Amino acid sequence: MSGDHNKPSASVIQVVKAVLAAFIGIRKKSDLESDAANIKPSQVIIGGLMGGVLFVVTILLVVKIIVN
Amino acid sequence: MAAVHGDVHGHDDHHPSGIMRWVMTTNHKDIGSMYLWFSLTMFFTGGFLALGIRAELFQPGIQILEPELFNSFTTLHGLIMVFGAIMPAFVGFANWQVPMMIGAPDMAFARMNNWSFWLLPVAASLLVSSFFVPGGAAAGGWTFYPPLSTQGGLGVDMMIFAVHILGASSIMGAINIITTILNMRAPGMKLMDMPLFVWTWLITAYLLVLVMPVLAGTVTMLLTDRHFGTSFFNAAGGGDPVLFQHIFWFFGHPEVYIMILPAFGIVSEIIPTFSRKPLFGYSSMVYATASIAILSCVVWAHHMFTAGMPTVGQLFFMYATMLIAVPTGVKVFNWTATMWQGSMTFETPMLFAIGFIFLFVIGGFSGVICAIVPIDIQVQDTYYVIAHFHYVLVSGALFALFAGAYYWLPKWTGHMYDETLGKWHFWLSMIFFNVTFFVQHFLGLAGMPRRIPDYALQFADFNMISSIGAFGFGTSQLLFVYIVIKCIRSKEAAPEKPWDGATTLEWTHLPTPAPYHSFEKPPVFKPVSH
Repeated sequence: MSGDHNKPSASVIQVVKAVLAAFIGIRKKSDLESDAANIKPSQVIIGGLMGGVLFVVTILLVVKIIVN
Repeated sequence: MAAVHGDVHGHDDHHPSGIMRWVMTTNHKDIGSMYLWFSLTMFFTGGFLALGIRAELFQPGIQILEPELFNSFTTLHGLIMVFGAIMPAFVGFANWQVPMMIGAPDMAFARMNNWSFWLLPVAASLLVSSFFVPGGAAAGGWTFYPPLSTQGGLGVDMMIFAVHILGASSIMGAINIITTILNMRAPGMKLMDMPLFVWTWLITAYLLVLVMPVLAGTVTMLLTDRHFGTSFFNAAGGGDPVLFQHIFWFFGHPEVYIMILPAFGIVSEIIPTFSRKPLFGYSSMVYATASIAILSCVVWAHHMFTAGMPTVGQLFFMYATMLIAVPTGVKVFNWTATMWQGSMTFETPMLFAIGFIFLFVIGGFSGVICAIVPIDIQVQDTYYVIAHFHYVLVSGALFALFAGAYYWLPKWTGHMYDETLGKWHFWLSMIFFNVTFFVQHFLGLAGMPRRIPDYALQFADFNMISSIGAFGFGTSQLLFVYIVIKCIRSKEAAPEKPWDGATTLEWTHLPTPAPYHSFEKPPVFKPVSH
């Protein structure tokens, strides 16, 4: 983990793309390698947690639409 | 995976001998062995209770067990199998394998590791001895819902204490595994280079740290309701028994994944080895494991559709639950794709791994069926649910444990197990498992409730078939004990690398059997592309 401090910071878009790909479980190999090179673990964790919240909110919205 | 560089395993073997070796040990291999023997003992204890249940249900009417004792049997069968057999078995695998697979000399907190293990026999003694106290063992089901669990006798208190101890042991084990994986990997091994078994255990350990304190809180609230005048779960005092169900299942559903994610890890090691191909979609396997772990925390109330819930709640938990099929489907696809066009051979570990995939998918599909609210309301508390979770936990978790045991026995013992007997064990388990549990789908759909010692006549035939299957399955497991003991006592040395497709560090960098101290100097790890 010690090498992570030297990593260049990834853009928000790249983190969002990586997290969304992770939710489905599919990612192109070249994108994965670029993710591994640029995204810090802390970015993945924060992105993943926000993705989780977004996931819950999305299902809630769908449910609300259906119920109404 | 990489070439051997220098002497990477130890040479000094000075430790206490006799019983004190096991009491005092801080060696991950010794502790792993103790976890595995403990879980095997508990497996047979829980199995004895299961056979008591099936003996009683062989025919309608009350023949062997009084209803109260029957209820204690079902309760303790569940508790012992979940907390005493399956979970410690996976921790045993983690103890043996995680340090060897990441090139670490031992677990990060070696003394705490000893303490984590030695708590287990204490908890198990409490659970088993509770049968012999006044009032008998807890009888409210393994989920110990109030008000039954607030009304029981001393046996319930012993169960609560046991769950506290088991929870403490699991939290310590999980912290140890996380710290080991994050800090002690061989130089050059990045997270995305780790074997899948290590990844699944890392994610499982985080789940344990998240939910075990919730369980501890739940049983503490139960304890204060029982003895200290609180009314958390007592409607007469302003509390709510449904609150218990929410908190319990906030622990309980991730717990399901705690018991299956390491199984995914074991299968993800075995399928590539015996297909002689790298795992298909390594990164998507890691992602899918993480997704399953996150999703597992937002689906708990699907266990409570009939407890009373707004439509919005029912729909939310239904959709969220059904979506778990997506990352799980990714995993099944990847295992199948790994086998596709591989040079496959079918030794016992591979048979159990393929049996796992086949039967786990059946259990997964019946899970999706149970996730659908209107169907769940029909099958709630019936044998359909029993069939569903035994397909996931027996042919899922347990089959993966058998697969892993056969796979790593040569590395652990230095001897080869008897392949013919191993195959017999697989086929007998496969056949009798299905005889036992497949018919329970029919019983459930026909309306037979769970946790009853007697039943209406129309359920008689399928119950008889199920009981015959259960006794066949139970007896077949004695064969496993014989195979393991025969393997340990064998005079014939196993080949250094019996599985030519194995690529992880314990096979490529360590001799067989693995020395008592391994990787005192970290190996130089050279990643392969996944």
